[in-house]
Amino acid sequence: MVAVAIHLPLLLMQLPLKSYDTNFHIFFASHYVHHWFNPWNVKWFAGFSQTTYPPLAQQWVAVVSRVLGLNMAYMAVQFAAILLLAVGVYRFALLWVSPRAASIAALAAVLAGSESFLVYSAGQLATTCSAPILLNALPYLYDWLRYGKGRSLLKATVLFAATAAVHHATIIFASMFFALPVLALAWIDREESDETSGSGFAARTVAIVILTAAAIAVVLLPFWIGLFRYPITQTPIPHPSRANYILSPQWGINYFLVPYGALILALPFIIVRGSRVARLRPLMLGFWLCFMIGLGGTTPIGLWLLRRAFDVLTFERFSYWATLLALPILGALVAGLVARFRLKAAVPVAVLAAFTCAMAASWSHYKPADAEDFNVAPVAQWLNRDGHDNYRYVTLGFGNKLSRLAVLTDATSVDGESNSSRMLPELTKYGGGALTDAKYFGTGGLESLRAMLRHADRYGLKWAIVRDPYYEPLLVFAGWRHVDNLDDNTITIWAKDGVPPATPMNTSQMPPPWEGYLWGTLPFGSSILAILVVLIPDKRRRAWREDEATVTPITQETPLSGRLVS
Amino acid sequence: MKGILLAVVLFIATIGLLVIGTLSPIPTAVYYAGGKSLTRASSTPQDAVENLAVQIRQRSFGDAYGSLANRAEFTEPEFVQDLTGNTLSLRTFATLEDFETQPLHESADDAEMLLKLHWSTVVGPYETTRDLHVVRNGDRWAVDWPLVKAPHVPPQVIPVNYLRWDVIYSGAGDDWGAQDVQAPRIRIVDMRPVNRAEGVVVMGELLNEDIVPAFVGVRATLLSKSGSPIASEGAFDMISHTLLPKQVTPFLIRFPNVDLSQVGSIRMGPISVLVSASADPVVEIENQKYNLDPEASLTGQLSNQSGQTVNIAHVLSTFYDKNGQLVWVAGQYVDRALPPQTPVDFSVQVPEDLAKQISSERTIVATYSSGNSL
Repeated sequence: MVAVAIHLPLLLMQLPLKSYDTNFHIFFASHYVHHWFNPWNVKWFAGFSQTTYPPLAQQWVAVVSRVLGLNMAYMAVQFAAILLLAVGVYRFALLWVSPRAASIAALAAVLAGSESFLVYSAGQLATTCSAPILLNALPYLYDWLRYGKGRSLLKATVLFAATAAVHHATIIFASMFFALPVLALAWIDREESDETSGSGFAARTVAIVILTAAAIAVVLLPFWIGLFRYPITQTPIPHPSRANYILSPQWGINYFLVPYGALILALPFIIVRGSRVARLRPLMLGFWLCFMIGLGGTTPIGLWLLRRAFDVLTFERFSYWATLLALPILGALVAGLVARFRLKAAVPVAVLAAFTCAMAASWSHYKPADAEDFNVAPVAQWLNRDGHDNYRYVTLGFGNKLSRLAVLTDATSVDGESNSSRMLPELTKYGGGALTDAKYFGTGGLESLRAMLRHADRYGLKWAIVRDPYYEPLLVFAGWRHVDNLDDNTITIWAKDGVPPATPMNTSQMPPPWEGYLWGTLPFGSSILAILVVLIPDKRRRAWREDEATVTPITQETPLSGRLVS
Repeated sequence: MKGILLAVVLFIATIGLLVIGTLSPIPTAVYYAGGKSLTRASSTPQDAVENLAVQIRQRSFGDAYGSLANRAEFTEPEFVQDLTGNTLSLRTFATLEDFETQPLHESADDAEMLLKLHWSTVVGPYETTRDLHVVRNGDRWAVDWPLVKAPHVPPQVIPVNYLRWDVIYSGAGDDWGAQDVQAPRIRIVDMRPVNRAEGVVVMGELLNEDIVPAFVGVRATLLSKSGSPIASEGAFDMISHTLLPKQVTPFLIRFPNVDLSQVGSIRMGPISVLVSASADPVVEIENQKYNLDPEASLTGQLSNQSGQTVNIAHVLSTFYDKNGQLVWVAGQYVDRALPPQTPVDFSVQVPEDLAKQISSERTIVATYSSGNSL
């Protein structure tokens, strides 16, 4: 109900549309609406394959958009992910702490600053959809390791596969922080109850790793094929989440203060509590490592551990995962405080949690992805008329409206927002992100833009649509002519003379039809299968709930042992 | 006890990693911090200059101004204008990408430092150099900023009598660039490919033979000895795209990583489009001088004869040998705006290996004035 009360109004107001990545996901979803079985998208990068990004969340947006339209479908899927997060955190926390503490953890998940930050500022649909599925898979992993139940193996495997189908980074990186502590927990609990032999435990571990890896390999097969055929050659693109938050405090506010909020006050207690209680130690260590990596360039640990991947990844998602890992311990702390001090503890904790959520949810208002909101419909109409869409275009100064424009127009562009999907050498050779934001990437971004304009003829690039006069000198000196104005002269159209009409490009990178069918079937199928297998009754869980009434309220002094007591 | 020990270890590790990350930051963190790790106290001339450069890079102009020894000599806005230009110019568009410092002289109470600033702009990188006098003030050092005061032009009336050509387009359905009128007649009057270390360079000159202005471009395609295309490139910004009647522009087209021995022939593709144009702004070149020392360069001054500011000027120079044969084409963006009637220095660099072949030169100026693009 808290999720409904807080997030539903914000989503109905379509607040995520202001975020960095929401329009990118909607653009991908719009392609699936029209070409479910053909991942080749001609609208960006002179043609690229959408198999470069796991599709599940976007496919769900595409499906729901048949009823709600793309914008509201996105909000619906995001809302479902938030609800699922509460369930996932509760079930995950139950592995570690009491049901009461787990309930508080679930409530805290809904109010978590990092969740609101990713939803409303970053617009990371894939991260916020995959984490709840992963969290829901972990109790099944535990059950399989402890009790060897085939049903749990099936559920865990299918849910892990569905997680990968939503977001590859989550399954590759987050699963380490989440699954290894669960593995350690199952081992600790096994030692206490002595139900399973060590070799049996190891065999189960190997079995689920192999089965899950195979499932993920199959579900995302076109993704892996693409990665193998075209390894990422992109020059690292700067991202402020890799800054040192002490030396660059403005980024510290953005990537540390806002996502963690009042949780920062609890960090020492989480470390102490997690260290004192033997069963919580794996979780606490997972949290600590994830938290440290989430600090980006504030410490060298991220670079040491991730090496080249450090310059590819962004670190707000690590802070998000760290928050989720901390929630069970936080739930136990708060449960203990409330048990001891009642309202004297509950009220300030509730106020701090509400403040954290409010600050993160409103952050996109104070630090918006785009300084100004503007309507791209006139640009789309211009591109769609008089044969203008026979040529490619590039926008300059459009920010994340680049994706919104791509949804609306039939014309194709050499630019795009997906860094992992770009293959054009003019883009990959330089350390710049989307050309539309070239100036924000310094020399790398501007070199990339100049290289692209230099090769306008090669790509049939005739139109430059400019909303930032910063770029006008380059266009003037590079031989582009100002030919039209739009939207009360706030947008100018520039043309390059003598450019031939755009022709299909990058066709060698086009996935064969069978990959398209797999892409349209397996990831989405994994989510349907996940829903079905989760509906299979779980006898053990029912028996477990019956024990809840016997759980002792936690206090700082209570010795902690066993699965149901934290 | 074991748990408490673990917590203590983690706290120590956290603090230790934070200290390492801050005192010896990783390259990405340095980039976002403005080029250095921590702003140190200005206890040496080098520190004082580096701290100033970092503040300029971070556009903390207030802090930079506050750190200057001679700040009483000018105001903060004058300091900011000196860095970013007092009107829209290349400096306004520039971000400081990197900097270098070099000590020239140091005594107990003052020092001379060279500060090279590497700027990134939308039209390409450029570099400025400042000789800084650094003075000791107690246990700290501070920079005397060598402010270049912007000249003030007295109020005056400039008569405007330049030529101007307008074009009436056929209507809303006009397919831009494929106009239903004959394109202006243009001709390549000179063309020469040369082999350079970075690849093949094709340079030449293009003449507008018509009596109307032309918007021009040149494209070259290198063909192998078998006639197959090797590479195709355009002149990009190494050409003046707007040509008035009978005007000539040099052009230079680069083909990186191609050797001239691979090339059998070159197919040139000049294009022209009829455009509205005017002879304004008129930019005169004064005191033009070719120098061999210390670096081969063509220096001079640009003087804007018009009544309106030219925001960005691109100087394009063609260099000839004693037989009048084309030797090189070079260009240079001028980082300061050209206010009316106010000379501004320019310097066009020439490759050292070609410098001694040059006996004459011709220079034209392409301009950008904000708001005059349509």
